[in-house]
Amino acid sequence: MTRISLGGAVLRGTVSTALMVSLMSASALGAAPVDLSKWSPEYVRSIAGTQDFDTAADCGKVTPLDYKGRLTFWYQGVFEGDPDLLRQYYKDFFETFRKTYPNIQLEEQALTYNDLLDKFRTALLGNAAPMAVRLQILGGTEFASKGYLQPLKPEDVGYSTEDFWPGAMKAVTWDGVTYGIPTNNETMAFIWNADIFKRAGLDPDKAPATWDDVVKYSKQIHDKLGIAGYGLVARKNAGNTPYRFMPQLWAYGGGVFDEASANPTYKEIELNSPQSKAALQASYDMYVRDKSVPVSALTNQQADNQPLFLAGQLGMMISHPSDYNVMLDLQKKATGTDKDKAQTVIDNMRYGLIPTGPDGKRAVVFGGSNIHILKPEYVEGGKVDEPAAKAIICMWTSPEWSLKMAYAGSNPGNLNGFKTKWMKERLDNIKFLDVTTSMLPYGIPFPALPQSPEIMNIIVPDMLQNALTGAMTVDQAADDAAKRVKELMGGGL
Amino acid sequence: MTIVTGKTGARQELRPARWSLLLQKIWEHRADYAYVLPAIVVMLIVIAYPIYYTVELSFFNTPPGLQLRDKIFIGFDNYTAILTSQVFWKVTWNTLVWTLASTFISFALGFAAALALHRDFVGRGVLRAILIIPWVISAVAASYIWKWIYHSDFGIIGAVLVGLGLTDRPPNFIDSVSTVLPSLIVVNIWREFPFAMIMMMAGLQTVPDQLLRAAKVDGANAWQRFWHVTFPHLRDVSTVTILLLAVANFNSFIIPWIMTGGGPSNASHIWITHIYELAFGRQRWGVASAYSVLLFLFMMTLGYFYVRALSGNERKEANS
Repeated sequence: MTRISLGGAVLRGTVSTALMVSLMSASALGAAPVDLSKWSPEYVRSIAGTQDFDTAADCGKVTPLDYKGRLTFWYQGVFEGDPDLLRQYYKDFFETFRKTYPNIQLEEQALTYNDLLDKFRTALLGNAAPMAVRLQILGGTEFASKGYLQPLKPEDVGYSTEDFWPGAMKAVTWDGVTYGIPTNNETMAFIWNADIFKRAGLDPDKAPATWDDVVKYSKQIHDKLGIAGYGLVARKNAGNTPYRFMPQLWAYGGGVFDEASANPTYKEIELNSPQSKAALQASYDMYVRDKSVPVSALTNQQADNQPLFLAGQLGMMISHPSDYNVMLDLQKKATGTDKDKAQTVIDNMRYGLIPTGPDGKRAVVFGGSNIHILKPEYVEGGKVDEPAAKAIICMWTSPEWSLKMAYAGSNPGNLNGFKTKWMKERLDNIKFLDVTTSMLPYGIPFPALPQSPEIMNIIVPDMLQNALTGAMTVDQAADDAAKRVKELMGGGL
Repeated sequence: MTIVTGKTGARQELRPARWSLLLQKIWEHRADYAYVLPAIVVMLIVIAYPIYYTVELSFFNTPPGLQLRDKIFIGFDNYTAILTSQVFWKVTWNTLVWTLASTFISFALGFAAALALHRDFVGRGVLRAILIIPWVISAVAASYIWKWIYHSDFGIIGAVLVGLGLTDRPPNFIDSVSTVLPSLIVVNIWREFPFAMIMMMAGLQTVPDQLLRAAKVDGANAWQRFWHVTFPHLRDVSTVTILLLAVANFNSFIIPWIMTGGGPSNASHIWITHIYELAFGRQRWGVASAYSVLLFLFMMTLGYFYVRALSGNERKEANS
């Protein structure tokens, strides 16, 4: 099993330090419940299980437990790529909420990541939105800038702004006003199959150090074993694509704007910089030149890579620690010899830090979700039951539930979640969690702009597809994408 | 003094008479109008208003950072932007290829199947039921099934071809700009040809048997009987079937959207999927509306021919 120098990794590199500072604004350091300056897997272990929280009592102070009301609520829920464990926690959450607030009539609706934005936008146009919504981190700014959301800060539901990752708070802030509360925050890690590495003549216990190594390893795996090396994802309108390509883009020193810098201004477009083109070239080399990644990468998402990985047909990919649990779930459903093959893959699963760029820069998307309250005029019936909305928000963003709802895949939005007994239990039960918590300081939030969903879900995947299909050269694809971002930012058609 | 010519005076006299006649007729049929009034009101709400609003929106810019109510009037700029964009011509070409290929191949296969099933043979009923299956399967389910069949890494077709040693790698059906549209058209034809088959089977029932027998007695061979007797009788139903298929194909959404989302690199975007992406993915409500207006005009033209074909049938029936 891989042993990673996790403590050292956290402090590695001046760029990552700058990113870390960006995620931990100075104002937050003093009062934060968790000392982010000491962040390391060892520190996380040391604080886990050190504090008890009474969620019902805490939320009862925000909205009395006997409050009678009605709430419509949409949320980005679990989907086919999530483990069963997470499904159970979601079920438990809504059951607990109904028990805690028996007089609130809750009408919740789960939507997948890729469907939620479209449906929510359509509902808003018809003034038929839900009273509260949990959106992906990418979406909040768009709706806040358009004036659909009510100001909402952690203090409104009994918490403190310092209880949440400062980087995550930036994603819910527009024009100096806070419009939501982070529920969970995530950074992914690099996963590989040690057995495939060994058979391909690679060190089974060592992840590729750089993205150039990923290209080389992918080719070596493909050439020697005839299977896909790296799990490239380039589907349009799928969150998986930017979550996997942006770390590569940033590592090479590129970006859409200057979002990877410590104090981004989002003024200059960098998608067609030499560094960004180098990142795109790496994907081109794997897909077109070496043919070492799944051909289906253009129509696939991560949920399609998971069975490939479990079947031993894929050497490496970027994903959550929850993929280990997903593999266990899938293995349980396998039959005959497939079951044994799947077990071999699970036994050989290794997690490591996401590779760096040529200059030692390491980056990962600082992802997650936020929860918001809508303005009454955009809600069906024209009324928002604020106490009911605050009740569910208080519960979801509590140390207990923000931890449980992120149990296998990501991290609690509320930093106090790291102190709970469930965090301690999670550290023992969820394999490879250390690696992803170690990636947190390298996290870079998507640009907090209303145009970000279009840039990340459409323009960046289009750039990849244009280059990988040969519809354009790498240079043309990057230039075309930069031109489209420029037009978009200028309010063009 | 006004001099009124006899002709003009007669016309002026006729006008009030015609109006009163019209009003009288409306009054006589007042119950009929009352019956259709709710339908007309509903149509005005669900069809007329959205059309008006779409036309209105097509003259506005709707940047992603603004609410729709803050839209900016830009006149015909959306239309200019569409007609001068490369994507428009690419998507239009895709739409034409998609519509024409799907329509005519579905029709030809459906017609052939109808002719085959029109003959009496053992198992005809079972075969007819089997052939209708693709049409009754949900388009969403069919799209997902075909996506797996075509999968470029572990699809069934690829596995069979590799297993038989016919190719080293599974063929790339939907991840290539050159093969994606034909691959989707195949799925669409598979879904649609049973519809053409049913329509043509119904049409075949109307061909008078005595004419076919008379032609046979006169020494006409099978092809001559088909070409000179059967086919002329099917001309109208064929026209209607082709028009219905063309309209459905022009408005297709489910298969290309689910299987590829219009990709890769816009290679399988047709008008409707492109409009959907513009509106709901990119919030360019103005541009999407302008596209919709253009599509509406095209569909109205097709509709005109459809109605003409139908009324032609009715006239012929009335004359006979």
